[in-house]
Amino acid sequence: MMKVDTVLKLKDVPGMLIKALEPISTHGGNIISVTHSRGEKGLVSVHVSFKVRDQSSLNLIRKALEKQGIHISEIEIEGRTYYTKKSLSFILLGHVIDTDIRDTLDRINDVGMVSGIEVVMPAPNQKSSVLMDVEIDEKSNGELIRLVERICKEKDFLLVRSL
Amino acid sequence: MKTVKLIVVGFGTIGKGTLEVLRMKHRDLLEKQGFDVRVAAVCEIDGSIVNDKGINIDSVLKAASSGKLKEHPDWKNAKSLEAIEVVDADIVLELTPGDIKTGEPGISHIKKALECGKHVVTSNKAPIALRFQELTGLAKKKGLKLRYEATVGGAIPIINLYRDNLEVNEVRSIYGILNGTSNYILTKMFEEDVSLQTALKEAQELGIAERDPSYDIDGTDTAVKLVILANSIMGKRISYKDINVRGIQEITTESLELAKKHGYVIKLVGDVNGMEVSPRLIPVNHPLNVSGTLNAIMLDMDIAGTLTLVGHGAGKIQTASSVLADVIDILKDMKEL
Repeated sequence: MMKVDTVLKLKDVPGMLIKALEPISTHGGNIISVTHSRGEKGLVSVHVSFKVRDQSSLNLIRKALEKQGIHISEIEIEGRTYYTKKSLSFILLGHVIDTDIRDTLDRINDVGMVSGIEVVMPAPNQKSSVLMDVEIDEKSNGELIRLVERICKEKDFLLVRSL
Repeated sequence: MKTVKLIVVGFGTIGKGTLEVLRMKHRDLLEKQGFDVRVAAVCEIDGSIVNDKGINIDSVLKAASSGKLKEHPDWKNAKSLEAIEVVDADIVLELTPGDIKTGEPGISHIKKALECGKHVVTSNKAPIALRFQELTGLAKKKGLKLRYEATVGGAIPIINLYRDNLEVNEVRSIYGILNGTSNYILTKMFEEDVSLQTALKEAQELGIAERDPSYDIDGTDTAVKLVILANSIMGKRISYKDINVRGIQEITTESLELAKKHGYVIKLVGDVNGMEVSPRLIPVNHPLNVSGTLNAIMLDMDIAGTLTLVGHGAGKIQTASSVLADVIDILKDMKEL
């Protein structure tokens, strides 16, 4: 079980709270606490803490809430801020292996996580093509692109990144 | 019925294509628009064919095809700038190929035409990319129209479509496959597993690539079109030097193979928001994945959402479609006067 703290932004109309809590229990969430404060006009911030079995149950809850038009402004799992994950793919073209590929991977792993890699080397002294898939928090997308661009400049690679 | 007179400046591929289409559609323009569209002058580098009553298009095209323009009875030694000034006409079609560094002779032609009270339609990218503010400003000051649909995406009506139908939208991004030659080469490499050199040679044999294809391959042509889109559609004020440009020279068959294996193609993409031209991975089923010499432009807007246009980015007749669209747009305004 993992403890999840969320902040939901709800419309200030009767019945909204019940509507928001329902998907949590439907998907096996065990609600620990609900506190709310009236803030911006027409919107109420509701802090909901609950325990849920795993990430996939949490994803189901998020989807169900979003379907009802309820926006989740913050999510913390076991006290750590959670961001939506994103996958980014790109090809590096150049002498990728001979320019310390370990270093390239380590630096990328500092920002995201390389989850897939495929190398094509036509001949030892020719340029190779390396495709990488990197899992990353959505908020770090720009940082990763800047880092990869920097590495490419340094090591003289051509970067072919996804749109 | 009104008579409207054109001056065609530049008699290369697009100039000839435009005359062919004018000949083909003369009756249409008369019946649908109510205008008898005549060509008062055709200007080449060393002289012009001028006839105030309207030149005989058949005879000019015939003379051009046999390389005997100078033997045409209406041939005069008047150079383009002089012809623009002295020949009585309503619209100047500036269809010369532009020098990307200087924008000439296009810039001088356009300025001269506007100063002489003539509307301008151009297919010439360089002047519009280099001097957008100045030239559109001059047209506005003179109460004239300067139209440039044919400068980006050949027959794809991107600029007019936005102006006439989408202006309520805020455009969040524009991505484009804007160069047919490089797209042909990448498609060939991807589909037939041939090297860039082989694909390029074939493109040259087919007349798709020029003998010196560097502007197409190194991304310059795409970057110039990107500048026009950024300034005319997104209201930016950028110039060519603001764009980060990487071409397709370094793309290998192995990298395309690798992309294919993972469900991607590699395309030369102009990214207006990122102010970047570079080879990018595009999912195989993505709307921008167009093959051969086709062009594609994808807009992302706050109200209309995404919209992708696909069409012929070059070609004698196809580009003339955009030139004539601009001419008709001006005719419609003249009708209201």
